[in-house]
Amino acid sequence: MPATLTLYELNTLVREVIESEMPHEYWVEAELSEARESRGHCYMELIQKDETSNTPIARASAKCWRSSWAIIQPHFERITGQCLHAGMKVRMKVYAQFHEAFGFSWIVTDIDATYTLGDMARRRQEIVAQLKKEGVFDLQRELELPRFCQRIAVISSESAAGYGDFYNQLKASKFNFYSEIFPASMQGEQIESSVIAAMNKIYERIDAFDCVVIIRGGGATSDMSGFDTLALAENVAQFPLPIITGIGHDRDECVLDMVSHLRVKTPTAAAAFLIDHLQQVLDRIEICQERISRAAQARLTTLNSQLSTFSTRIPPLFSLVKTRHEARLDSVQQRLSAASLRNIDKARTAMEQLATLLLPLVPHLLDRQRHRLELLQQRTVSLDPKLLLKRGYSITLHNGKAIHDAKELKAGDEIETRLEQGTIKSVVK
Amino acid sequence: MKYEEALQQLETIVRKMEQGEYDIDELTEQLRTAQKLIKLCRDKLTKTDAEIKKILDKEE
Repeated sequence: MPATLTLYELNTLVREVIESEMPHEYWVEAELSEARESRGHCYMELIQKDETSNTPIARASAKCWRSSWAIIQPHFERITGQCLHAGMKVRMKVYAQFHEAFGFSWIVTDIDATYTLGDMARRRQEIVAQLKKEGVFDLQRELELPRFCQRIAVISSESAAGYGDFYNQLKASKFNFYSEIFPASMQGEQIESSVIAAMNKIYERIDAFDCVVIIRGGGATSDMSGFDTLALAENVAQFPLPIITGIGHDRDECVLDMVSHLRVKTPTAAAAFLIDHLQQVLDRIEICQERISRAAQARLTTLNSQLSTFSTRIPPLFSLVKTRHEARLDSVQQRLSAASLRNIDKARTAMEQLATLLLPLVPHLLDRQRHRLELLQQRTVSLDPKLLLKRGYSITLHNGKAIHDAKELKAGDEIETRLEQGTIKSVVK
Repeated sequence: MKYEEALQQLETIVRKMEQGEYDIDELTEQLRTAQKLIKLCRDKLTKTDAEIKKILDKEE
């Protein structure tokens, strides 16, 4: 019967074999399926997947002791802008360790940050290529920031200082901004889902906002990996409002930055940009205002001078009119006097003609009258009773009246008989 | 009476007078009317001139 070892003895055997057979350090590339820190040490799970089927074909635990991790971690995060997380491709220097109680583990003594960086860049490129293929890569940059961009939807972590800085800066400006926060996790693996959820909430009230700002304060960690996902990039790229990113890093652009409308470095810079944008609009308005008022003034001046020209021209113009009318009145008056004189002349001429006709008639008329008078006179003379008396006739009068008939008289009437010489008074018998 | 009205009336009188349409008795009366109309027109012209000057002075 072969000797039976205790587990400890057996494990010790394994440890001794490993220590003697694998005394060196190796550079290994693998994918992290898990990474966590505990009491300053870093514990990782390494995995290698089959390239076609994605099935794990190798798996191992790895540890980085506090003494090494304290040096490796800041360096790695500074270079890559990320902390170790699941799904990350890493290249690290390891040596094998087998502990009787804790089993096999690779002990990490160094991590090649450049390798991860390269891998990240490659992955970003893949995402970018995919976005371009979908035709959405440039959509955000084709959007135009509204001129009066005042209603800002902010995606940020509520507790982070970044949003505070952003908010305070907007409030301190002379403009009336309205900003509303849509909280999202800005670190770790929840970035993608929580940012997308926040964007969906904004989308429901899209008319209430002019633009979206995704900001993140400069916290202790600067893990950018969450922002480098296809789903998030697609969401941002196709969002109908312009999105400004200020997620606080100064290494390579992450995909989110590449697809956003505008990237700035910090929340403060995002606020400064929005203030400046509005200021430019205001400046433009003021310039327009200035130009309008200048144009209006120029026009007014021109019109005024035109009017004064007119008003100086009116009196001479009117005096022309006046002169013309006066001349007309003068001629009317002349015609009037001429016409009236002519009328009177004509009447006078007519009268004179009548007079010349009349004058020769007068002597003739007079003669005729005279002749008539003479005839009358002759007749009168021949009728004179004195002539009869002279010839012996007498006239008998009774009471002064001539008696033509004896019957007119009665006895006793006193009659008077007139003779050529004297009168005889007698009484009728 | 308006200036144009007066002027028309005046023209009528002159025309009739020139054509000898008035008899001697009417003549004096018509002439007097015509003189009145002429005076009215002249006064209107003078008044308008003065008013124009006054209005323009006021606006300056």
